[in-house]
Parts: sequence; C-alpha cells; structure tokens
Amino acid sequence: MKPLKENGSDKPKKNEKDRKKLQKLVAKNMEETLKRIEEAEPGTESSEDSPFVSGEGDSDDGDNDGDLVSEGEDDDNYHAEDSHGESDDSREVVEESDSSEDEVAPRNTVGDVPLEWYKDEGHIGYDLAGKKIKKKERQSKLDSFLANVDDSRSWRKIYDQYNDEEVELTKDETKLIGRLLKGKAPHPDFDPYAPYVDWFAWDGAKHPLSNAPEPKRRFIPSKWESKTVLRLVRAIRKGLIKFDEKPKEKPRFFDLWDDSTSAERQGLAYIPAPKAKLPGHDESYNPSAEYIPTQEEINAYQLLFEEDRPKFIPKQFANMRSVPAYDKSVQELFDRHLDLYLCPRVHKKRINIDPESLKPKLPSRRDLKPYPSTCYLEYKGHKGPVITISVESTGQWLASGSKDGTVRIWEIETGRCVQIWDLGEPVEQVSWNPKPEVPMLAVAVGHDVFILNTKCGSDEQQKTIEEILHVEPQKVEDDSDSTANVVTWGQDEKHGGIRLKHFKLSKKQTQRIPFKTKGIPVATSFHPTRSIFFTATKKDVRVYDLIKQKRIKKLDAGVREISSIAIHPGGDNAIVGSRDGKLCWFDMDLSSKPYKVLRAHKKDLTAVAYHRTYPLFASCSDDNTAYVFHGMVYSDLNENPLIVPLQILRGHSTGDGRGVMDCKFHPRQPWLFTAGSDSLIKLYCH
Amino acid sequence: MPKHYRPAGKKKEGNAAKYVTRTQAVKYLQISLPVFRKLCILKGVFPRVPKKKVKGNHHSYYHMKDIMFLKHEPLLEKLRDIRTYDKKIKKAVSKKNRDLAERLLTRKPSYTLDMLVRERYPKFIDALRDLDDCLSMVHLFAALPAVDRAVDGEKIPVERVHNCRRLSHEWLAYISRTHKLRKTFISVKGIYYQAEVEGQIVTWLTPHALQQVLPEVDYRVLLTFLEFYETLLAFVNYKLYRSINVNYPPILDPRLEALAADLYALSRYFDANGKSKQIENQQEGTNLDESEVRLAQLHQHLPSNEPGALMHLLDDGSNKDDQDLETRECKSLFKNVKFFLSREVPRESLLFVIPAFGGTVSWEGEGAPFDESDDSITHQVVDRPIQGRKFLSREYVQPQWVYDCVNARILLPTDKYMVGCIPPPHLSPFVDNEAEGHVPDYAEAIERMKAAGRKEVLPLPGTGIEDLDDPQGLLVSDRQEAIEAAKRKQQISMLEKQYLDELKLELKGAPPFSQDIDAVGGGDDAISDVQQIADDVSNMSKVVMPRKKRKLLEAMEMSKERKRSSVNRLKERKKNIDQAKNLA
Repeated sequence: MKPLKENGSDKPKKNEKDRKKLQKLVAKNMEETLKRIEEAEPGTESSEDSPFVSGEGDSDDGDNDGDLVSEGEDDDNYHAEDSHGESDDSREVVEESDSSEDEVAPRNTVGDVPLEWYKDEGHIGYDLAGKKIKKKERQSKLDSFLANVDDSRSWRKIYDQYNDEEVELTKDETKLIGRLLKGKAPHPDFDPYAPYVDWFAWDGAKHPLSNAPEPKRRFIPSKWESKTVLRLVRAIRKGLIKFDEKPKEKPRFFDLWDDSTSAERQGLAYIPAPKAKLPGHDESYNPSAEYIPTQEEINAYQLLFEEDRPKFIPKQFANMRSVPAYDKSVQELFDRHLDLYLCPRVHKKRINIDPESLKPKLPSRRDLKPYPSTCYLEYKGHKGPVITISVESTGQWLASGSKDGTVRIWEIETGRCVQIWDLGEPVEQVSWNPKPEVPMLAVAVGHDVFILNTKCGSDEQQKTIEEILHVEPQKVEDDSDSTANVVTWGQDEKHGGIRLKHFKLSKKQTQRIPFKTKGIPVATSFHPTRSIFFTATKKDVRVYDLIKQKRIKKLDAGVREISSIAIHPGGDNAIVGSRDGKLCWFDMDLSSKPYKVLRAHKKDLTAVAYHRTYPLFASCSDDNTAYVFHGMVYSDLNENPLIVPLQILRGHSTGDGRGVMDCKFHPRQPWLFTAGSDSLIKLYCH
Repeated sequence: MPKHYRPAGKKKEGNAAKYVTRTQAVKYLQISLPVFRKLCILKGVFPRVPKKKVKGNHHSYYHMKDIMFLKHEPLLEKLRDIRTYDKKIKKAVSKKNRDLAERLLTRKPSYTLDMLVRERYPKFIDALRDLDDCLSMVHLFAALPAVDRAVDGEKIPVERVHNCRRLSHEWLAYISRTHKLRKTFISVKGIYYQAEVEGQIVTWLTPHALQQVLPEVDYRVLLTFLEFYETLLAFVNYKLYRSINVNYPPILDPRLEALAADLYALSRYFDANGKSKQIENQQEGTNLDESEVRLAQLHQHLPSNEPGALMHLLDDGSNKDDQDLETRECKSLFKNVKFFLSREVPRESLLFVIPAFGGTVSWEGEGAPFDESDDSITHQVVDRPIQGRKFLSREYVQPQWVYDCVNARILLPTDKYMVGCIPPPHLSPFVDNEAEGHVPDYAEAIERMKAAGRKEVLPLPGTGIEDLDDPQGLLVSDRQEAIEAAKRKQQISMLEKQYLDELKLELKGAPPFSQDIDAVGGGDDAISDVQQIADDVSNMSKVVMPRKKRKLLEAMEMSKERKRSSVNRLKERKKNIDQAKNLA
C-alpha cells in the first residue's frame, strides 16, 4: 500500500470528470473474470461503456494505445489517490466488482443449460421479456477469414456463444488475461511482496508472558540420564558393547538334516504332489519319423475343438543348433506351480486291476450243457419275414406264420414242409394245441383267429378234431354284457377250420376279460399250472387271477417299453423283454421289481422263451442275435435263481429292418428255433 | 431355513468345523490375500477336498489344522513386522527425511526359510523326493533375463538370477562329479536329465541356452516359490557336498568364473578340495580358502589331461564302497574318450554330461584345459558342416551322439552322427517301449548293438583306443544284463505259449464250428469266427455285470483302445513312410 501511496502522490492530476468514468469501467474490467467479460452487456451499461468504446472506435490504433497506456497509469495513481482520499468511492468499486454478476444481468435468460440443446433451433434463448433471441446469420468461412485479415484487431475478438455475439476485448482486458497467464495476480496493483506488518508487536514486549521463577530441575543434572550412561559405561567396560568389531557372521548354510533332532513331520499328513509327466519320444528335437504328424493330420487338428487339439505337435530339427528356445517354458512352469499351491490334493486309490477280474465268476459253460449252440437246420420256404413259430408239444411238428400270409407246417427232423395254408393276410401268431392228442393249430390273421386241422395225427385223432372243429351256424346270444364282443364262429371250409375271436374253447363261446387293463396290452401269457393270467402293457406287467377275477400283482419292470413276456414252467418266475434291449427276470415271490436286469441286446427284444424242462431261457432281438441263458430256479426258496449267459446265436441276417422275430424251444430237446425276418427258420442244437 | 442350519450357540461339528474356505481362512488369519498366498507357498499348505462341501462346490477348502499351522508360524509375525517397517521407510521417504530412510533401510528386518525347509522335509530323503520342480525352476530362472519392470509389477532381480545360476551349477557339478546322472533327453522344451541320488530318482529340465520368452504371468508367485527353492537347494547342496567331503559354499576360481565356465571351475574346485584334504598337513598355517583358490589356479596351469590327475580323480570316486553297479557303469562309459567341443555346441550341457560319464572334455575358448590341436582327442563334437581344419585322428560327431551313447550306455558307431547329415532319431529314455506297444526302429537297433557288445567285448569301431583292461564292473554288469534279458525272453516265450494254449482250449471248448459253417451255408472264414467267439465269450459275462462295474470295465477298455489306436496310428505312419521310401 505504501509504495502506491508514494506513487500516487508523484503523478499529476488531469481532467477529473472523464477520468472518474473511465476509472470505474477499467476497475470493473479488471475485476471481472473472462467469462464476465464475455457476458458484459453494452445495452444495460451504455452510459458507462459508451464513451470508452466510442473513443476507441473513433481514434486510430496507435493513438488509442498510447492513450490507454497512459490512462492505465493514470488509473493506477487515481486508484491510489482514491484509497488515500475518497475511501467511499474505492469501496464502491470493490463492491461493484464483487457483485458484478448481479448488476450486469445477462441478456439471455436461458440459464445454465448446455447450448447444444439450441443447436438446431433458430434462436439461442430468451430475453428478459421472454422473447426469443434470434441467432445471427453465420458468416461464411471465407468472409470471416477475409474480415479477420482486414481487421487488425481480430485477435482480440471473442465469440460469445451464450449471447450469440462477437465481443471485442479491450486493451485492459487483454492485459488482465496476460497477467493471469503469467500466473500473476489479476490486479496490477496487488503487491505479493508487501512488507510484513507485525500486528503483535507492542511497546511493552520486553516483559515475559509468565512471571513464574525458573524451576530447580532446569539446573540439576538428570538422574536417569546418568543412570543410563552408567549402564552403558559398565557394559563397555565388561566388553558387552564393542565398537570396532563387526558382528561375527554365522555360516549361512549348515547341516539342516543332522540326526540330533527328531525327524517327524508336524501337522496333517503330507500328500506329495504328483510328479510332472516325463517326455515321450514325440517331444524329442529329432523324433522318429512316425511320430511326426503328416500335414493332413495337422490340418485336421484345426477341425477339432480347441481343448481337444494336441497341445504339442512334434517337429523335427535337422541339428541341435537349430532348436529354438521353447516359448512356453515359463508359462508351463507357472501353470505347474499354480497347480502345486492351488489344486486340492487327495489321495486317490488308483485302480490297478486286471479288467478281467471285474467280470463275475460264472460257472463253466461246459458244466451247464446241454444248450443250443450251433445251427443245425434251416427251414426254407417262406417268401416273407417269418413272424411267428410254434412247436407242437410232441416235438414233431413246427408251425410258422409269415408276413407273406402263409402258415406252414414243417417236420422238425427233416425240415420238410408238410402243409401250407395261404390265409391272404400277414399272420400275427400261430400256436399249437398244447394237448398232443389233439393236434390243432390256432392262427391269428388280421382281425380273425383260425383254428385249423393240421391232419397230423392218427385217424382217431382226426375224428375228434373234426368233431371239435364242427360248429353250428351262429345263434344270437342272450348275454347282454357279451354282445359287444360277439364273435362269429364260422366254419371255414377252405382251410378246414373255424374262425373266431375271444373264446371259451369247450363251450365255443367268447368270454370277455373281466378286468380293466390300463394301456394297450402288448403281450399276454397264462400261468403254466394255475388259472393266472399275465398281461404286459408297455409299462408294467399285471397279473390277474382268473377265478377270483381280480388283479393279484403288478410287476414294475422299469424299462422303456415292454415287448414280450414268458413265464417259467414253475410259475414263480417270469422274464420280460423290452424294446430298449433289456431282459428283466422277475422272481415273483421276491419282489415286484426285477431280480436281475440283463442288458444283452443292442436293439429291441422281440421275443423271450423258457424251456419247458431244461433250465434254459432265450431271448431274440432285432440285432440278429439270440441269447441262450442258463436259468436255474431252485426249489429252496432261500436260494436265488442262477442266471448264466451261455451262447450268442448268430446267423440271421437283417430283412425288412428287423432281425430275429421269434424264438421257441423244442419241448423235449434243448433245441431252439428262431424265426428271422430273412424268411428263414433256424434250428440250433447242442 | 438354510441347508446347513445350525442353531445359534451350537458348536460347529464335522466338515463345517474342520474345513474353511479360503476367504474365511484369510479373514481368520487377519492377513491380506497375497500374504496368505505367500505363506501357503512357503509352508506348503494346499487346499483339501472335504467329504461334504459345506459352502458349495466353487470354493477351495483348507483344513482348519492347516490354517492353525499357518497361524502359529513365526514367519507370519515377521511378515507383519516387515510390512510396518516398510511403512516407516515410506513415511520417511515421503517426508524427505533421507537420513532416517537410509538408516531404516540398513536395518531392515529379514527372514530365512531354513526352518521351513526342515519342517517340510524332516528327512533328507523327503527333500530329494520333492526336488524335481525345484530343480526345473532354478534351472529355468538361471536362464532368464533379469527384469526390472516396475510398471508391470514384475521384477526378477538380477541377484536372484545369479544365485539360481550358482545353485544350478553346484548341483550339476555334484551330479557330474559323483557320476549320478542316468538319463538325458534333448527335447524341444529343453534338455531333461535324470539322476539317481541316494536311491531317489530326480528328473529336471534345463531350458536351451537361448534367450527365453517372458509371458505375462504373475511373477510374484514364481518368485515366492523360487525363494523357497533357493533355500532348499542350497541346503541340499550343502548336505551333498559334505557327503563327499567338499566344503560348501565352494569358492571358485574368479578367472574361470569370469569366462562363464562355472561348471569347469567347480570341477576344479572339487579336485582342489580333495587334494587339499590329502595334503593339508603340508599346507599348514595358510588360510584354507586361499589355499584352495591357489590350488585351483595351480591346476589351471597344469595340463589337466595329465594321466596322474585323471587317475587321482578316478581313485577318489572308486575308493567308495557304496557305489553301486550302475554308477560304476556310468563312470566308465567315456573312460578313455577325450572330447573337444566346438563353439556352436551346447557347452554347458556337454560339460556336465561328459564328465558325469567319465570322459575328459575341453572346449574352444579361454580357460580350456587343452586346445583343439591336442593329439589325444578322440572325439570332437561339432554342429556345423564347415570345418576349418580336420584332424584325421579323431571322430567328428554331432552332440546328439553323446546323449544317445549316454542313454544306450554303450559307445554307438559314429558314422550315422557325421557332421552335416541328419542324425538317427533321438529317442526318449523315459519311455518303456514294450509297455507302450511300439518300438521305434532305432531303439531296436540300439538293443541289437547292446546285445552284440555284450557277447563279444570288442572295441567299437568308433573308439580306436578302447582299452581292453576295462573295469570289471562293466563285465559284471554285462553278465547281469544278459541274464536279465534271457529271463525276459523266457518269460515272453512262456506267455506266448500260454496264450496259444488258451486259444486252442477255447477252440476245443467251442463246438465243432466247421460243421455249422457248412450247415449255415458257407459263412465267413474261420479266423473271423474265432474272433467272434472270443468276443462273444467276453461279452457274455458283461451281460450279467452290475452297471457300476460294467461302466468301469468299459472305461478301462476305452482307455486301452485309445492307447492301442495311438500305437496303430504310429504303425500306420511308419508303414506309409516305409512305402514312400521303397517307391523312391
């Protein structure tokens, strides 16, 4: 402040009134920030602004500069004078600068919003009256450039985006900016190095703050210090503290594993990490030629998934000096060590057993003889796939039904075809009369059932058969409940038999099954000794008592689709074949779940069969094989049935997309007949 | 209610109490995750698999006892101290209190891992058993460039690299000196060595001596491992050196060290040390270390191929009773072979391998014990087709010859390893060819050569000056090997016979199928039928197997099948190559 004062007093005074105005304006300009400069509005302050601007506009540049400089200086001294004399005025100036924002209201009232919002509008905002402020027309680049070139003051012009106008900075403003850029204070009068005014210096400073006397402790030596010193001195005298000697270094390494200490590992059991895999021939720098994949194979790796691709492709180098550094060595080391400290380790029992030992110990097949093992005869003659076969209970005749609509009777021993019926439609099922003295044949064709006289017995037998097969013309039955199932029993002259449906053979009447079956039955069977009836639907097997007329059991096979069923001659066991290739053995005394599930075939099972006397059973399937099993059922209830697979019978070929369609055992001999879709019937003997 | 609900106040039991997840463990120990990792690495604590994963499947579980083990580790407290100390230094530095910072830096607390090594490997054998990874890492780091990239946070200090280099050389020198090396294999990844130390098989990989590639991995983890490995290997080396009466750490000839012939310097050191023990009484009053250095230098001036020195070397080894047959065999493989290494061959590896098998070796360059013009050199290892001057008295071989000889344990004929031609395939000694199912041609050829060598102890054509008064060990081992081979052959023939018998039995047991074939009407040929029957027999018992066992059996069969298919692929390729050769 002081130098200013002096300065001010030196300068002379000039035109008082003009100066006052000018000073006001400049002071204000100096105080304003850049933004405010831009926002300065000439309209509202026209009274103060106009002289300066007009003056500048009128006079030529050189003059004006000179004027301004002098004015600036003047302004300085005036300001100083002001602070000296007219304190009121100076305060006013300061106030003005502080609250300049309030005083100089912006023309545009749009507020502090991003101006991009008005980018596409024709106006830039609103004035105080709420009218739109139109944007000025944009000058073309060329024009603006030319204007810039012509105008020597163009460097001072700033475009005020907010008010959409061009503002020309005054000399003082540019100076102010210059000072700001240099990092000086904006006001030229501000002196950052003003002398320090010690406000706390006062006249009576020679007196102390406190009048308390110096304590005694300031004058006597410290007891504790002397004690410490004494201790150190003693230690030095004793030689505990040495100054010139370095601490003796112990040898860094020593015998860590000397036997003096116990060698027991603490903590949990240590699981050593598995050792890294040792390299094979293929990792050699010069592997044998067969270890190097051909180019085609390398190309084929690209087709594999990324994780399936071999990590390492063997390559041959002609000599050792051409082997490059392995680029993944650090990466592999890192991966290995991540495994070492991040992978959980477990002791895993490695099964190092002979795979053969997993297989169950089965009794020798030789001990279980006889069983069918080899194809002995073929019965040729059918033109289409043989769907069904049946063996006469004496074991002399074999009946077969085929898709070509014929039923044939063969002599088993010779393979001669004895009789042929052409029924016109694909034969579904053939079955001999279980009584050997009445050799009749039942044939299911389409919707009909034929009972045919096979003419295979003696003359007496023929007589009885003819008697049996004689039917009266159909009379209307009275039973109301059986009317729905009425079946015509008609003499079939052509084939020498009768056609019928559900029936009681003795009365030649049909009987309706008295129970509701859930789902469509796929296979049925009678109990060999008792009046029990088995129905297999796709899901389960239901066992009905025909006398009590109720269900007594339900066998749950747990397979996808049941296809066939056979009952053990003992009656307590049953086998069920399924379309997913499984064969379920049920011990009906044991449980309703299968005792054993054998997964023998790869394709659908078509038929299963028990041997009447031998402990044998067989299954045949669409995969052209038939399996023969040994299935021994013991009379001792504590002992489970013994099941041993014995033989896989092959020989049939695929025809019509199916394989072996049916299999039946010979009633006396351990022989198996199989009917194939290749229109052959085969006999397998022991 | 959550799945593993436990009433409040009830103590945890079972797996929930025994195992904690990593997050829980870190919280429990009140340390940060990096410190936890470091501790786990140093203490050798690894996650375990609880029977029941209480917190879910995607956590790693640590046993609570392991965590307690970490908790009571003095190192944990030490690490905390270091952390606070680092903070002090940082504070001093940022307050520009340089004096304090420097003073603090000089007294930085440090720790050693000695007791951790002892704790993890209570017996020396345990340490040797786990040495594979340690050696591989130390050898790799010995070949790495020192990196100081503060930006990435990765930093491989140069001292660590030097230390690794030193440790690896010490190890190699011991193995070479005691002839414990058994197998070598040059792979694309580097050179594998297998040694047998105190009955333990130790295998390690050294990278090729070239500039290594540094990928973006967490080097802190590797350096923590390395920290432990360095300590471990140093103590192991100490123990091993002591076992052969050599001081540890060795003091090397600075001149040789400067020439980067550390391995050779070490071997000189061994000699010097052995000798100094003998003539200790003569060298009284002098500082032991100094005498050793001087002795090493003395040896430097002596021609080291002098037979006396050599004999001394051998004596030193052979007076030990506990040397087994194999060591003796290894020791005498290159007994009277003298190698000279050219500039372009991997010198360090060969300097290690050749003395390990009893050979003498020199190289092109300064500090070499003898130079190229020495007449007694029998083999010169070269890897460059153009030679300046050729000596007729010696064989020029590619480096692979040395390694192949080592693996075959005989001196192979050198004609296939001539300079400029592609040598025969280099085969891995770690593969059991019989078990693998495919024997490469050259392996067979080597076997034949070995057999021939055993029958008639003739000097091989490559080695003109093979002495006939060769060590008895060789003969003994030969005889033993012959016996073994004969036994093996007998066994194989027996097995074959048995198999044939079984096949016959099977055929007899099967019904007379020739007849059925007729009945069937000319089926396939008998061989396929036999195959079919055999298949059927095996399938038959599969039918009645429980599902679990069947699946296991199938898995085993599948793996066998995979192995077989890979062998078949090899054979197929072999056939194609042979065919192409025949055509050409």
